[in-house]
This record gives sequence, structure tokens and C-alpha cells, in this order.
Amino acid sequence: MKKKWGLTALILVFMVSGVLAGCGDKGKNTVTFWTPLTGDDGAYMDQLVKDYNATNPDIKVKHVITADMYTKISTVMNSGKGVPDLSIIHADRVPGFVKQDMLEPITNVTAAQPEIKEENYLPQAWSTGNIGGTQYTVPLDIHANVMYYNKDLLKKYNAESFLDDNVVTVDEMLSLKGKLDEGDYVVNDALLGWVILAQIQNLGGDIQENGKPAVNTPVFKKAFESVKQINDAGLMTPFGEDGYLMFQSQHVLFSTDGTWSSTAHAGVEGLNFGITNVYSTNADKFTNRSSSHLFSMLKNKDRTDEKEAAIGSFLEFIRQNSIEWAKAGQIVASKKVNESPEYKNYIQSFFTSSEEEIKSLFIYTYEYYPYIAEAVDTYCGDIVRGNVDIDETLQTMQKFVEDKIAESSGGAK
Amino acid sequence: MKKKLNLAPVFFVGPHLILFAVFIFLPTLYGIYASFTKWNLMSDPVWVGLDNYRTILFDTESTFHTQFNNGLRNTLVFVALSVPLLIVIPLMVAVALEHKKVKMKTLIQSILYIPGLISISAAALIWSLMFNKQLGITGNVFGSDTAWAAHQPYAWIIIIVLTVWGGVGGNMIIYRASISGVGQDLYEAAEMDGAGSIRKFFSITLPSIRFPLIFTFVMTTAGAFNVFGQPLMMTDGGPQQSTHVLMMYIRQLAFGNGESIAGMASAMAVLLGLVILVISALQYYVMNRNAT
Repeated sequence: MKKKWGLTALILVFMVSGVLAGCGDKGKNTVTFWTPLTGDDGAYMDQLVKDYNATNPDIKVKHVITADMYTKISTVMNSGKGVPDLSIIHADRVPGFVKQDMLEPITNVTAAQPEIKEENYLPQAWSTGNIGGTQYTVPLDIHANVMYYNKDLLKKYNAESFLDDNVVTVDEMLSLKGKLDEGDYVVNDALLGWVILAQIQNLGGDIQENGKPAVNTPVFKKAFESVKQINDAGLMTPFGEDGYLMFQSQHVLFSTDGTWSSTAHAGVEGLNFGITNVYSTNADKFTNRSSSHLFSMLKNKDRTDEKEAAIGSFLEFIRQNSIEWAKAGQIVASKKVNESPEYKNYIQSFFTSSEEEIKSLFIYTYEYYPYIAEAVDTYCGDIVRGNVDIDETLQTMQKFVEDKIAESSGGAK
Repeated sequence: MKKKLNLAPVFFVGPHLILFAVFIFLPTLYGIYASFTKWNLMSDPVWVGLDNYRTILFDTESTFHTQFNNGLRNTLVFVALSVPLLIVIPLMVAVALEHKKVKMKTLIQSILYIPGLISISAAALIWSLMFNKQLGITGNVFGSDTAWAAHQPYAWIIIIVLTVWGGVGGNMIIYRASISGVGQDLYEAAEMDGAGSIRKFFSITLPSIRFPLIFTFVMTTAGAFNVFGQPLMMTDGGPQQSTHVLMMYIRQLAFGNGESIAGMASAMAVLLGLVILVISALQYYVMNRNAT
């Protein structure tokens, strides 16, 4: 009987050891690379990593797609265990992460890679990682809010001239009032929050004044009102309907979605579409509200110099070879790639075709942008649809942002 | 004679106890502690005593007070709408399936149970498409012109339909198991006394399955208070925040877009836990007292 218990205990020990060994860091020869790329883009990043590892580097990269990555980052940073060597974060996280002393400057990593420098990347993507003169990130892409158009519907409604100057204005859209067949709409409400944030720039405004959040402002009101006009005229897809799918089913002339949706649209049979700038309140200025995926290193005392050098090699490989990333529909940040002839085959190359277009890719870098974006996303649908009073709701939104800032910034540092 | 120590139960219960302690009990304790702090997950929590609770419950100017009230009200609406349906419908199905004339009981039971195995995200996507005016069957087959997710009470209706569709099977299995254990002699005796189906149901079936009923009622109610996936996926809390339930606010605060406000989120979670605890105790007390 004793023998049996002994054997069972031995098996248990082996099993537990096996499991624990599996959980542990497999080695000094692997750069653990976390990304939040849970969609199709994860497969393109997988391919890039695979291509890099095929170059037989001394230290290979292990791509870990991490759902709910920011939550997991909180956990590992808090415990100090399991911190990834490299990660992709969004541009709007950088100021907060730097403030909390969570990011390692990237300068040590790129020291041996002279081509990883500002001149070789889209300027606004590079600059979002620069806080107080220190570079914390290297950009992979810009992912922008853009506007798709249905060529057949534009022709049907004699609206092709809207595209002449590459700026579709609210007034041009309103000119179609009463001219559409039942069930057809001028524009959908996909990524409506980003459209509003673009209009704020078009109107010469901002989301902050002297470092304080500025939501309850005349510019915000005007931005909402300009978009609301389209809805009031019955030209926006109905509230609660999936405007994205309605564009794909060819009932919508314009869709204000992300560059990344181009691959899905391309898969829809018979959908004859093109891409242009998000509509604007005036023809003089247009903004495509954007964000950026950035390579960054969270603070990790276990990251060795060898690993840092390996990360540098990987980032240089990405700079030179990220044409694969264009397949995911993203605007690749590396100039070597986005200026290459091959890149011109991708629809999003429209946004790097001129200086004016590059300038239109706008990334908010205000420290508390995430709270403002949350407030805009929460309330924009109801404001634009006229379900709530605009003045009252702007007050609520301002309070929403201020309360969250006050509450979140009180923790010990 | 020395009694031999029996370790077998320890091996059976031990792993569960360890997992319960590590993944449920200790995090719950830590959550309660966190509710008395200002904490953003990254830095060390700062003790603020009852401040979070004071803000949530009494500071009427605060966004957190508004969110808590709105979230709790919407959660209570969901509980009130879904729980009766999740008790009555499975009970009726279970009783019907016990009838001798019903064929293919296992097949029917499986069909009703399978939706509960589908992830809530997948189920919500499927139902959202079905209720889509342009692309779904409600518009194309039944000619409905309703934008279901955009207006009340339709937004609640689609959430409840999904919930009932996914939740009927679980309770039904429990009721069937309980009903099949009720002695046939009781029914035969009642029949001899001239009792009809309804009388037999109220006088024999219901009292006989009292404890499973209390169990499912309490558990279904507690589960309903934790509703999250259905409104998130189907209405995203709209229209006008009317389906924005408390769990959505809690998650948003703890792991939302900006810096985490985990201390406040924990306080809301503790308050929600207390509400569930009080209501469950009341349910148990009332049902058990009425039954004895």
C-alpha cells in the first residue's frame, strides 16, 4: 500500500514539475513579443516574425498574441514577473506609461541600428513615442480612420464630383437630401467617435486647453452639430443598424471606417470601392483621425544586453521588410516600405501619396486622450441622433473626463 | 483499536479547495481590500477608507454615483425580466418532457441544452445578425422595420431573447432530474382521488422539487446580476445608456480605455456583491418559509 502512495506522489511531482517548467521562461535565446493583434493582422505579424526567425538570428522572437493585453500588462508590471521583452502598444498609451515609469527608452536598443531614426519613418508616428526629448518607441504603422466610397453608387447618384479635390464636405453630402432611393444612405456611422474627433481638428479646435481636458467647448458642439446635420437630413444609416455591413451590402455611398477594413471589403463580391479622406466641415482642411502601433519595451530588469541587441535587429528587419504588414491594410510607418513601388499596389498608399495626405493623419497625444475618447464614444451616438440635449451632454462628458482623471491619478507612484 | 486515517477525501476535495482559495477566495479578499483604496493597478494601492463608497453612494455630482445608479437600475431591470422566464420556461419544458406521450426526449433536451454551450460572444453575434433590419431574418423574412438595438423596449427584448435561449437548458436539466425522482405512487394516488394535471403539478410536483427550485432561483438571480456579455455585444449599453449594466461599468473602470480606476471599480463590485447576497438570502428565506 505504501508503495502505491509513493508511486502516486512521484507521478504527481513529475506532472507538476512538467507544468511549471512549461510555464517558465524557456530561455535566454528568445525575445518574448506581446501584441494585442487578435484579428487577421495577428497572422500577418506571425508571418513577419517567422520571416525574421528564418534569417537564423542568435536570439529568436516569439510572438504572443495577447487578448486584453493592457490588463495583462498591468498584472505583470505589478508583480514584476513575466514582463515581455518587447510589445506593441498604441500611441495614446505612451504618455500615461511614461508618466508611470513603465517604459524603457528605446535608444539603447537602436544604438547599433543607425537606420532606425526619425527620418526613416512617418513623422507623426515617430514623434508620438517621444516624450520630453526621449524616444520610447519605434513605430510599426499608422492605422487611420478613412472613408471608403462605393463607386457604383456615386455614379448612380451623380456624386463622383465630390471626390474631385479629395475632400468630401458635409455640404456636398447634404446636397443629396431627397435624391436617394429608399434604403440607401449617404454615409454610415462606423467609427463615429473618430469622425467627431477629426472634425474638432478641422474646425481648428483641440481636446485640451493648457493641459486640462476641454470637452464642453464651442468647437466640440460645432463638431457634433455638423455631423448631426447629416443624420437630421436622413442621410446617415439608421441608429442601431450595422452601417459597416450596410456598406458591404451596397446601400451606403460612404463608410467612415479604418484602413484595416480594406481587406474585408475586398473580399465582398461585386463591391466596387475606393478610399478617400474622412468628410470634413470645410474644403480647406481635412483630418483622418489616426493611431499608431508602436514597438516598445516595458521596464524589465531581466532583459539582457544581448536581448536588447536582438530587439534592435528585429526592428531593423521590420523597417526593411514590413511590406507584409501592408497586407493587413495598415499604413506602414517605415518610409523604405511606404515609398516602395510594391506598396503602391495597396489601397492605403493613398494616404502617403503626398505631403498633404501624410499631414492629414492626425494622432492625439494628450495624456488623457483615452478618457476623452471614452466619453466621445459613449455619448456621440445619442448626440448625433438627437436623443439627448447637446449642451447638457457636453457638460456630462466634461465631468465624466474630469472625475476619471481626478480618481485615476491619485494612486501612489 | 487505533482508527485508521482515511486520506482519500482529502485527495478528492483538496485540489478543488486549493483552486477555490487561489482563484476565488483570495482574489475576493483582495478585491474587498482594494475597494478601500485608490488604485490604478500599476502602483501600490493607497488606503482611502470609505471614500470610494461615499462617492458612489452619496456624491450625487459624481460620475461614479451616476454610473452606479444607472448600472444598478439597468441590472435590476434585466434581473426582473429574465429570471422569471428562466425559471418558468424550463420548468414547463421539464414537466412537458416527463409526459409519457412525448417522444425523442433526449433529442429535444439536447437541442435545448446546446445553446448554453455556445460562447456568449458567438451567440450574441448570431442573434445580432438575425435582428439586423437590413440583413437579418426579422427584416427580410418577417418584414420588421424595427431597429432592435436602437430603441426601447426592443433593446431589452433582444437581450432577453438571447438570454432565455441560452439559459433554458441548464435549469431544465435540473428540473427534469428532480421531477423524475418524484414517486409515481403519489401521482397515482392523486389520480384515484380525481386530481387533474394542474392540481397534480401544484400539489405534488412543485412541493417535491422545492429545493431544486430554491437552488435554481437563487443561482439564476445571482447569475443575472452578473450580466455582461449580452448587452455589451448586442447594444453596447445603448440606447441612451439604458442597457448599460453595472458589470459593464465595473469592467470599464477597472480595465477600460484609460488608466485603471481599480479601487472605485472594486467598491462597485463589492456593493454589487452585497446586493446579490441580500437578495439571495431574502429569496432563500421567503421560499423556504413558504414551503415549510
